[in-house]
Amino acid sequence: MLQEVDFSSFEALEFLLIAGAVLILAYLALEHKEIVYSAFFFGFMASFVAGFFLLLEAPFIAGMQIAVYTGGISALIIFASLLLPRAQDSSLEKFATPEKRRFGLLMAALVVVLSGVLAFIFPWAESFNESFIEISNDLNELAIWLWADNGIFVQMIALIMITSLVGAVALLKMDKAEQLATVRGEFGVEAEPTLDEPESEMEEGPPMEEQEVDG
Amino acid sequence: MVPLSWYLVLSFMLIGLGAYGMMVKRNLIRILIGAEIMGNGVNVALVAMSLYSPVFTFTGQGLIILIISVAAAHTALALVLMLMYNRRYDSVDLGKPIEMEGP
Repeated sequence: MLQEVDFSSFEALEFLLIAGAVLILAYLALEHKEIVYSAFFFGFMASFVAGFFLLLEAPFIAGMQIAVYTGGISALIIFASLLLPRAQDSSLEKFATPEKRRFGLLMAALVVVLSGVLAFIFPWAESFNESFIEISNDLNELAIWLWADNGIFVQMIALIMITSLVGAVALLKMDKAEQLATVRGEFGVEAEPTLDEPESEMEEGPPMEEQEVDG
Repeated sequence: MVPLSWYLVLSFMLIGLGAYGMMVKRNLIRILIGAEIMGNGVNVALVAMSLYSPVFTFTGQGLIILIISVAAAHTALALVLMLMYNRRYDSVDLGKPIEMEGP
């Protein structure tokens, strides 16, 4: 009974279902009013994209997609939306001008059309003959490609990652130091007014130099 | 097997949606989400073209591993830049500096 079923149609059905879910979730991630829900929709969209990688016989990439995009990046976006209360301001969801929206839509359509021209009209697209596909699902070969043949690129990426993370921490520290410099006094950063010393009392008294002159 | 053109069309739609989000939205977090959606579209196109290429190689999959790693790093950096922007302008509106400085 099962031998009579055309499994290729199942694959097409799977593709259509996943594609519909991905497109709807991507639209909701961009257009939902609540930014936290948008981040959740983005996470779901990323996990559905992993379904495409499973269809394309790339299970390692699917696992990595779920681990990094769904587990890491969407969590980072949720943190960002919770750390920035202004991000939930509903006035930001209104378009500045209708012309700007039309211009954005036009540019997005241009990006899609140019990508399509590159993919379908250029002559190299004919070299993708779908009847000669050899699927190799060997993770050992992937590891050899990644670590033995192209190990230098992996090291470069690692260097880029650590530079960006160290740079991010340094940027935050510099920004904080700039803010503290405005309140830095004789005793360093501890010169900020405390609860015991209200600011009003400090402002009421005359400056030290004037007191000495009067005396 | 699903034809390559289906994957390419889907990836272009994702790239277009991401481009729309990046060009139209004012909220920095939504712009970041748009950039990530574009990245996902590119990833799907790369893996599909790698599988459907005349000689199968792991170039596409290896590139995707590197791209996903860089995406994680750039998202962390974008989060820090958003925090700095919020401290400076007290908003995550991309048009805030133009409003403050005037035309």
